[in-house]
Amino acid sequence: MLWLQLTFTGLQVGALYALTAAGFSLIFGATRVFHFAHGAAFVLAAYVFYWAETSGLGMVAGIVLAALAAMAFGVAMDRLVYAPIQRHEGSFFTVFVASFGIGIAVQNVLGMVFGRSFVTISTGLSRSVKLMDGVYVSPLAWIAVACAGLFFVALLLFLNRTHVGMALRALADSPELIRAYGLDPRRLSSIAFALGSLLVVPSAVITALGSGLNPTLGHHVMLISLAATIVGGIGSIGGALVAGFILGLAENLALVVFESQWTEAVTFAILFLVILLRPAGLFGRHATR
Amino acid sequence: MKKARFASAVAAATLCIAVAGSAIGSAHAEDLKIGALFPLSGPNSAYGDIFASGANLAAQHVNADNMLGGRLTIEYEDSQALPQPAVVGMTKLIEVSQVPYVLSAFTGVSKAISTLAQRSETVAVNGGGVGPDLAKLGPYFWNVIPLANLEVRAMVPYLADQGLKKVALVYVDDPLGQSILDELKATLPDVGGELVDAMSVPTNTQNFSGIAAKVRSAGADVVYIASYGAQQVQIAKQLRDNGVEAQFASYSGFSVPEAMKLPEADGLLFTTQAVDYTSSDPVTKRFVTDYEASHHRMPSAYVANYYNAVRLFALLAHALEEKGEPVTGANLLAQRKATKSFDLVGGTVSFQDNGTLLAPIQVNRVEKGAPVALTTVSIQ
Repeated sequence: MLWLQLTFTGLQVGALYALTAAGFSLIFGATRVFHFAHGAAFVLAAYVFYWAETSGLGMVAGIVLAALAAMAFGVAMDRLVYAPIQRHEGSFFTVFVASFGIGIAVQNVLGMVFGRSFVTISTGLSRSVKLMDGVYVSPLAWIAVACAGLFFVALLLFLNRTHVGMALRALADSPELIRAYGLDPRRLSSIAFALGSLLVVPSAVITALGSGLNPTLGHHVMLISLAATIVGGIGSIGGALVAGFILGLAENLALVVFESQWTEAVTFAILFLVILLRPAGLFGRHATR
Repeated sequence: MKKARFASAVAAATLCIAVAGSAIGSAHAEDLKIGALFPLSGPNSAYGDIFASGANLAAQHVNADNMLGGRLTIEYEDSQALPQPAVVGMTKLIEVSQVPYVLSAFTGVSKAISTLAQRSETVAVNGGGVGPDLAKLGPYFWNVIPLANLEVRAMVPYLADQGLKKVALVYVDDPLGQSILDELKATLPDVGGELVDAMSVPTNTQNFSGIAAKVRSAGADVVYIASYGAQQVQIAKQLRDNGVEAQFASYSGFSVPEAMKLPEADGLLFTTQAVDYTSSDPVTKRFVTDYEASHHRMPSAYVANYYNAVRLFALLAHALEEKGEPVTGANLLAQRKATKSFDLVGGTVSFQDNGTLLAPIQVNRVEKGAPVALTTVSIQ
């Protein structure tokens, strides 16, 4: 039964990875900005939810406030950090270093405000329920998988059925063409950041409820998001989602065979194999020479 | 005229002697600085705050009592509980600040800085790391805390007495975790126990739901958690959330408020060195009274350890100043070897030849967020 239990656990972890990776992939795919502070948006949303919950505002208000905080952070990063750098023709690395710096600053500010230790929210949702002998699943696991499915369908509909969505897909390829159609690339870029940051919110809330928080959590989130984006194929939201699930499942099912300390290595072994065999990722477009 | 010249010469000589005398006097009254390498940021920073609270209180008492010729100050460097930043901090303390005595914590950090301590003849004193290897880091590395092998040796017979003989270990993949694994392997067979599974986790892992599945399938009576900081709290919470109902056990790393106040940690057994906070000896009494007054809670063993580490420095430096010898690492070491015992928090103690204090170990249980002492074990 161990493998079945680990499959359930892997699906829950994979759903959380998929959502954060889809957010990063949306931002990177549309704007080509290496938004390292995506992990900071995750931690910020999680701590805002924690604050709302412990202040007695309730879970719904907490989720709304967390969503607003994450989106505001994403838009502020785009408008106040990346736009000025890009206006002065700052390189890819300048943007990356700025983003990295902001990520560290957010981590430290959260540490000063909420303390640097581990915080938890006590809830029955994180308590696992016995499904059968040796298999326990918490309500949060079902919520995580449902959220991943729901957000993915909503995102696909948005990107394929709305003008703004289609413009977002076109933004990465040709900002000039966007302008020719009378659209504002800067506004579209902000929408990409707002939506990408919104996608971390379910994952942040579930993490706050399930495993607890500390301000350094963002680095791991960013690392997994990056790995899933590359494995799935840069710019492919569906690819990031599938890759998130693959990495979550692999990380957990590896425990059947390997020592627990090797599970992260399994994630990066998969990343290495994909880079070697399919450099464009599982669902990425091959570049023509 | 001759008289006037003679008077001038006498006055000049008197002035010179007075100036030289005051210079010598001020040399004795020099302020003393020691260093501290604590995690002040990162997931283990909660420990840094606790360690510093003990060290600062000791410095405050030393200065209030005028134990030393000048004022005692502590220069803090952020180790982040990681070896690499700790080495950078230690280098700065030795080369730039030229301190003779450095407070250290965490096994990995302490091992990393120990070579610098030996090379520069700077005393490094650990009051937080419990890896048994810390007893073998040379004459300039001292421990004012009993090490983890002693804690495991106290915990295992207690568990066996309670009928808890099948142990699963979740341990952090570093020298501390490895030493606890080795000690459990060595001690469990002696009491008819068995290590049914041992799962190592990297220091940065934060998700343990998969580990919980493995722990459940191992069918252990006890899960021994050998980690620290935010990670040990996450392990306890996630194991309980994922259906692990076995008894939890741990070592002194769990004796921090953030770990004990976790609802999932209720009933967890953990070991610490035994400190009798109700003792009537003046050092312990003053320490407990003043700590409670300023922090509104009882001190933990970690607070006592770093208080003792700073007080130990003051006692040694005071003895050196009385003899007119400079306060250097080499002289502090010689003075420690020459002194048979020290009046520290918890009573009169003495060092073993390897520079480690030997103290009895206490088994505690977490009840409603606070430790309750169950039994005290004398370890030889």
